[in-house]
Amino acid sequence: MVPEYMIDWWLGFIHAWLAELTGLVGQGSKRIFVGYLISATIIAVLWLMWQRRLNLAGAFAWLFQGKTWWSQSSRSDYQMMFINQPIMLLLSPLMLSKLALATTLFYTLTDWVTRPLWSSDISTFWVSVIFTSCLFVVDDASRYYLHRLMHRWPVLWAFHRVHHTAESLTPFTVLRTHPIEGLLFGLRSVLVQGLLIGVFVFMFADRVTLLSLLGANAVTAVLNLLGSNLRHSPVPISYGKTLERWLISPAQHQIHHSQARQHWDKNFGAFIALWDRLGGTLEYGSNTQELSYGLVGQEPTEHQLVSLYWQPFKRCWQSSRRHKRDLISASNVTIETS
Amino acid sequence: MNKTLLSIVVAASVTLTAQSHAAVYADFPITVKNYTGNKSHSEAYTGQIARHSLHNSAKKLVSKGASLEQTRAYFNAKDEGRKIIDPVSKEGFPVLETHVDAISKGKNLSGKAYKGLMSGMPGSLTGVELLDLMIEKAATTQKGFDPLTGYDYTQLISKFTMGAVFYNQAVDNYLDEKLAADVNPNDKAYKEGKPYTGKEHVWDEAFGYFGAPAHTMELTAADVYGIAKQKVDSFEKADYNQDGKVSLITEMAFAHAYYAAAFDKGGKTKYLHTIVQAFIDGRNLITSANGSALTDSQRSELMGYAQVIKTQWQRLIAEAVFKYAGSVYGDIEKLETIIAANGDVVKVYRAYAKHWGELKGFALALETGGVNLGETGAKMNRLLGYSPVLLGNTQVKALVDGEFVQSSSVSLSEYRVQMIKLQKLMIDDFAVEARDKDVTANLAGLVDSLGQAMAAEND
Repeated sequence: MVPEYMIDWWLGFIHAWLAELTGLVGQGSKRIFVGYLISATIIAVLWLMWQRRLNLAGAFAWLFQGKTWWSQSSRSDYQMMFINQPIMLLLSPLMLSKLALATTLFYTLTDWVTRPLWSSDISTFWVSVIFTSCLFVVDDASRYYLHRLMHRWPVLWAFHRVHHTAESLTPFTVLRTHPIEGLLFGLRSVLVQGLLIGVFVFMFADRVTLLSLLGANAVTAVLNLLGSNLRHSPVPISYGKTLERWLISPAQHQIHHSQARQHWDKNFGAFIALWDRLGGTLEYGSNTQELSYGLVGQEPTEHQLVSLYWQPFKRCWQSSRRHKRDLISASNVTIETS
Repeated sequence: MNKTLLSIVVAASVTLTAQSHAAVYADFPITVKNYTGNKSHSEAYTGQIARHSLHNSAKKLVSKGASLEQTRAYFNAKDEGRKIIDPVSKEGFPVLETHVDAISKGKNLSGKAYKGLMSGMPGSLTGVELLDLMIEKAATTQKGFDPLTGYDYTQLISKFTMGAVFYNQAVDNYLDEKLAADVNPNDKAYKEGKPYTGKEHVWDEAFGYFGAPAHTMELTAADVYGIAKQKVDSFEKADYNQDGKVSLITEMAFAHAYYAAAFDKGGKTKYLHTIVQAFIDGRNLITSANGSALTDSQRSELMGYAQVIKTQWQRLIAEAVFKYAGSVYGDIEKLETIIAANGDVVKVYRAYAKHWGELKGFALALETGGVNLGETGAKMNRLLGYSPVLLGNTQVKALVDGEFVQSSSVSLSEYRVQMIKLQKLMIDDFAVEARDKDVTANLAGLVDSLGQAMAAEND
């Protein structure tokens, strides 16, 4: 006889799981929100008709090829999407509280810092513009830095390589992420948002609001509507060199996934290209680029779920052992990356 | 078979009786041995309700700019014939009693005010002396407001009276020393010929000071709030006996019960119902002794209910300190913006003074609960000071020859920060939960607007 509280727990858990799954496509704060997928499709079709001289039907046929969307790689993306949700649900209570961090910082600043007088001179509208922009820029910079570390530190690469074993790119590849990497992204997000909220509320009290669109940061939502999902797609849209110095194009992120030696450890940025320029890792894209994705020498078994979830721990353990013995340097390990 | 049926009926009726007692603070049977009077129930707290009406009326008088004599008639005197100035009948909300005597005769407020030393204001005055001074000063101002010191006497007098009389009498007298075994024992009438025992009346008086309608447990916090505000659509909720009028004695909400309802209707706390339930449980316990002296275990259980009431009551006053610290913080924010733009501060300055008066009145009330607040009290009083920080960065620092004397203080901006610290003190030391006007509320708001951080999404 299963105790009632366990049945309740399970029902609650399954309900939360389903809510998370529907939220993935139903909430504007998620990358694969249905609105972003539709806008990306429209942009891709128009681009294919313009650049590849395809008619509407031809553009759709090119975009939705079975070899891309139903490849072994893509199928494992979909599986991870389902499996990651309950794992993240179970891990989320372990996460540092954003509110606790923001509150602690707020009180610490109150104790030690005098609020500058000019803070009352800025209007509520501009406070929100500055807050929303800062959040976007600092969030993006921290994404770049963490992403770079994931490629440079063998222990982290062991988990991030799961994402790079994708051999065909679709918008769902964004969810091909090991839960440990999800935890790190979550921690990064908590730190950035908690710190900024604490500082801004200290400076501007209740005049701080987030300019939002579709329930997400307005800047991020606009960029998502402009087709950020195409970075994980077969459509190599380049913005041209001038714009790609500032914003990462889909073609540039596809280069990040390329197997070609010259493309390894390039274009770590999410939206802003400036960080790659400063870090010496920027590579320009091209509308005509043809790339192979995945890792050099990867085994076909790497799309199997056991491998995707378990192998990173083994690699992590092995790399930390190797590191201890100083048998291999971190730079040698990154050679494997693409 | 018949015996079984009879015992079920008896058991059911006993249960129903107990339940009806559990819901309303009314109709407690007379347990005094050999009572020969004509009363049919034992609860009585008209003296306390008379003082609520005196407090409401005195507040109204100060706010209207009444003379010292007029205010003292309600505060100090015990004269007959005093009209109730507040609460009075309103369109759609008729009130039964129109004179204080109709509730109880010969009552005043000053006679029951706290006689301990108050450290939150200058001059080493006792609670009753401080109230007296405030009433005197109020009479020299325009409608109770002194712009030179920033004192809103209407608020200061009202909120401090609620503490120094109602809260102090209830928690430091009736629910404290008067619960001792040898004081007002339960096996004797409170006074010769009275229909209630010593302990029954002591308990009733404490309940009366809280200011809740007798049928509170059948109402929501929002109902009780609406009743205190005399909202027309709350009339039916108030008129429990359906006689077409609201009895101030049993059906009205006053003082801290009103504040408890105001906090509770936000949904985060249950001060009102927790306190009233503890009063009902305690009263049922005393009644169950049936006119005998309480045993040690009964008295110990009763002290448990008293402790619930004391803790919750103190916390709800701390909630008010928290709330008004947040209001003062907001007012200073507005003042700073207006000053930066060379605007007219008169209206906001008035609101600042009003909120500060409420804040200070409740902070002073916390000192009157018969508990040494220790370091918490010292911190609270230092953060708050003896007056609001005025626009020239001055603050009242002393009381010399009956006059409040100012000197330089922290800046307005630093004082604003002290309000944040005061709110944090209420969280840390009193565990307040309703947290109205929380200056950090926007932290939680922004966290919510940014949503869940945990998502296995890559770049």
